[in-house]
Amino acid sequence: MSILILQFVLEIIFLTLVFLHISKKNSEVVWAYIIQSLALAIILFNSYLDTGGILLLVVVLLILLVKVILAPLFFNRLIKKNSLAFSVSTYLNMPFTLIIISFLTFIAYSNKFTPLTNIIPSNHMLLSLSLSVMFLSLFLIINRKGALSQIIGVLSFENSLITFIIFAGLEQSAGLQIGIIFDIFVWIIIATVFATMIYKQFGSLNVTTMNNLKD
Amino acid sequence: MELIFIISILIISSLINILFKKRIFIECVSVISVFTTLVLSTVVAIKVANFGFYNPFPFFYIDALGAIMILLVSFIGFFTVVYSIQYLRKETAKNIIGFTRTKQYLILLSLFLTAMFLAISASNPIFVWISIEATTLSTAFLISFYNKPSSTEAAWKYLIINSVGLLLGFFGTLLYFTAIHQVGGAVSWHLLLENASNLDPLLAKIAFVFVLIGYGTKVGFVPMHTWKPDAYSKAPAPIGALLSGALLPIAFVIILKFKTITDVVVGPLFSQHLLIAFGLLSISVAALIMFNSKNYKRLLAYSSIENAGIMALGFGFGGLAIFAAILHMIYHSCVKAILFFTSGNLLLKYSSDKIDNVVGALKILPTTSIFFILGFLIVTGTPPFGIFFTKMSILSVGIKFYPIISFVALFFMVIVFIGFFKHVSSMFFGEKPEEIKTGEESIWLFISPLALIITVFILSFYIPPFLNTLINNTVLLY
Repeated sequence: MSILILQFVLEIIFLTLVFLHISKKNSEVVWAYIIQSLALAIILFNSYLDTGGILLLVVVLLILLVKVILAPLFFNRLIKKNSLAFSVSTYLNMPFTLIIISFLTFIAYSNKFTPLTNIIPSNHMLLSLSLSVMFLSLFLIINRKGALSQIIGVLSFENSLITFIIFAGLEQSAGLQIGIIFDIFVWIIIATVFATMIYKQFGSLNVTTMNNLKD
Repeated sequence: MELIFIISILIISSLINILFKKRIFIECVSVISVFTTLVLSTVVAIKVANFGFYNPFPFFYIDALGAIMILLVSFIGFFTVVYSIQYLRKETAKNIIGFTRTKQYLILLSLFLTAMFLAISASNPIFVWISIEATTLSTAFLISFYNKPSSTEAAWKYLIINSVGLLLGFFGTLLYFTAIHQVGGAVSWHLLLENASNLDPLLAKIAFVFVLIGYGTKVGFVPMHTWKPDAYSKAPAPIGALLSGALLPIAFVIILKFKTITDVVVGPLFSQHLLIAFGLLSISVAALIMFNSKNYKRLLAYSSIENAGIMALGFGFGGLAIFAAILHMIYHSCVKAILFFTSGNLLLKYSSDKIDNVVGALKILPTTSIFFILGFLIVTGTPPFGIFFTKMSILSVGIKFYPIISFVALFFMVIVFIGFFKHVSSMFFGEKPEEIKTGEESIWLFISPLALIITVFILSFYIPPFLNTLINNTVLLY
């Protein structure tokens, strides 16, 4: 796959993250996550075609199964069961959120992070974009008030990390692949269990309703 | 073979706990399994003391510091299980939990211990990361154990903060992998160290910062500490002992492993300065919050943050302070277990973890109170206990090279003592409330703290030769 196509797929991941920041509906959030995970699977599949590593193919299939099918199914069931049509709002308002998104993207492309984005000099642009996706995912976790959005934030952070691994040429390590598989599988199970628990006990997925803990 | 046995025994113990329904049986299985792991861990530690390392299979590698950690996890783990059995029986008798919860607790505890053993013995940094992630997942359910809104909130906070922290740690770890040109096979700590010189110095610095933030979240360094008071206060008291006495030092040791690689590339000063900065920040913030703490389990959590800071200062100062920091780690694990066990006794009696609700404890629970007060004296560094000497040794090294930092740290350590003393005096002295019955709940609830107090007391004046060898070898390695 040419670098331009890869860059296009990576841009889709970036745009899904921007969308996750501005989206108001939970179903849209889930769809954005499906598209993002699908784009990641395409990038990873391309890497498999280049290297032929069978474990890499397992990771691709697992991403498709867990991130593209199972997790969204669960999220949608949670949304329908509890009538959570609209996602909980953000801590910062929309213009301010967009300003910070721009700032974080600018930082990722700045000279400060050259050692990271020059791990493979020919992939400099792709690594910069992957880094900005990482920053945006972190910001999503911090800025969103909803538990569902926070889960998707962590899962997006995972996606961005895997993207960075691929473009830094590190995806060949069997250990890394097992680490990714473990994280995908177990974290989704635990997070979804907790999302259900939170809804049962707080009657909402709004994390600002959680105020039982104080010094 | 010993390590395989340790891990197998713990997994088998979990499976037995899943399959069987007789309380006494699963309790016995849990105690026997942790006792066996303690014996086998001692064998491993002695082997490391004699031969320098333990490497039965390529997957495992235990050096001197790893051996100390294995010993610490099994030791604290054993007493935690012994204490937990009676603690859970009392909670069952009070209708706080049912038998199913007890089963879940013992299963999760075994899995938590297994994950910690794997984290400290795996030769591959990625498997170490997986194991640490596994500790997050098993402990999340232990923190939400009581199924109350507050415990679910604490567990959620713990899950999100630690997952993000560990993903950052994962990112840092993979940056170290850029030192190796062909990453196809398993990448061990040794391989990373051998190839460290290939690493770009600036990249090594960034990688260490990510690792320090990532695993530092698990240690509880300020400002990544916010999950800690909530998790420690909402988890069952014995779990607090394991989180503070076993998981904290393990996460710390992983940071140290990356420190040795970073030091090869950029020299030791970079990582030392970062450790000093995080250490001092942790001590000062914890000291200020402890002073006004309203909950005694949260007080213990902040005390753990303070002690993590002291360990960081020790490794940051280097030289003799490293020896003291390792000893501090050992003393702290034991004394924090004492404090959490006795806080569990207080909770059973007073049904409250608020400091204001606990008065006249010395008259109501005399043995528990004496143990808690002794624990307070030990953890705050009162002579003649070991922590006094470790704190003094760390500060005396620090005063030579970083006098201002050392004086600031000393000042906050004094604040910690005053704050802790204020709370201890309000909880244990004064008139006892009429409505609370005098007397200990069960002798089994103070056997574990007693054994640990004796251990700390002995270790304050005598370090067994094999342990001394391990500590000396650690100083040479780190």
